Amino acid sequence: MSNHLTVLFFATLKDRAGGRQASIDLAAGATVRDLRAALGRQFPALTPLLPSALVAVNRQYAFDDDVLPPQAEVALFPPVSGG
Amino acid sequence: MTLPTICLLTEAELDLDALVAQITLPTTGAVCLFTGVVRAVTTRDDPHQTTALEYEAYRPMAEAKMRQVADEIRARWPSVEGVALVQRLGRLAAGAPTTLIACSAAHRDTGVFEAARYGIDRLKEIVPVWKKEFGPNGEAWVEGSYTPTRGD
Repeated sequence: MSNHLTVLFFATLKDRAGGRQASIDLAAGATVRDLRAALGRQFPALTPLLPSALVAVNRQYAFDDDVLPPQAEVALFPPVSGG
Repeated sequence: MTLPTICLLTEAELDLDALVAQITLPTTGAVCLFTGVVRAVTTRDDPHQTTALEYEAYRPMAEAKMRQVADEIRARWPSVEGVALVQRLGRLAAGAPTTLIACSAAHRDTGVFEAARYGIDRLKEIVPVWKKEFGPNGEAWVEGSYTPTRGD
């Protein structure tokens, strides 16, 4: 079983990835940490930004040990700077 | 009576008077309003000039996080009546209001100042919005400094 995810990028990550979103296949049970590693392989240009990038899963902040639920809405972005 | 809570991301110009009116109840006697503005001239830390800021958001999550901030305000200051959290998006010229945080209450000594301050601080921590700064020397994304933890 694999987990097919759509990943949304914002701000600097969008620029570096060259687009607003990407599709990625991870093994079932894969974690946010696994996602970071896979994105680094698929988008080498993202590598310098990945350690500090924030990850949201289903619109909540997620952390490296969290398992990605099937069909989750995943987003990667830099620390926020609104206001 | 349902207490008004406004959480809004908009490309439209902010109408500060209209937003204050929307959180003013018959029992309201105090409204504390904070608005952020595109600062043309920065003198503190790294002095520089700014011609415009361009805002983008992860809209569905930003709306959810604004509601969370409003809930946190109500939990901390139960006397607060209305809450408005508004972020303008798109390209904004120097001098333009970019955000509005307003809290209303019966009286000014019930925490409305602190509640509005908390609102803007939390918006800048957890609401997924980013700005790109344009100036005489080009453009650059502004990066925040807060790393969320569990519960954010």
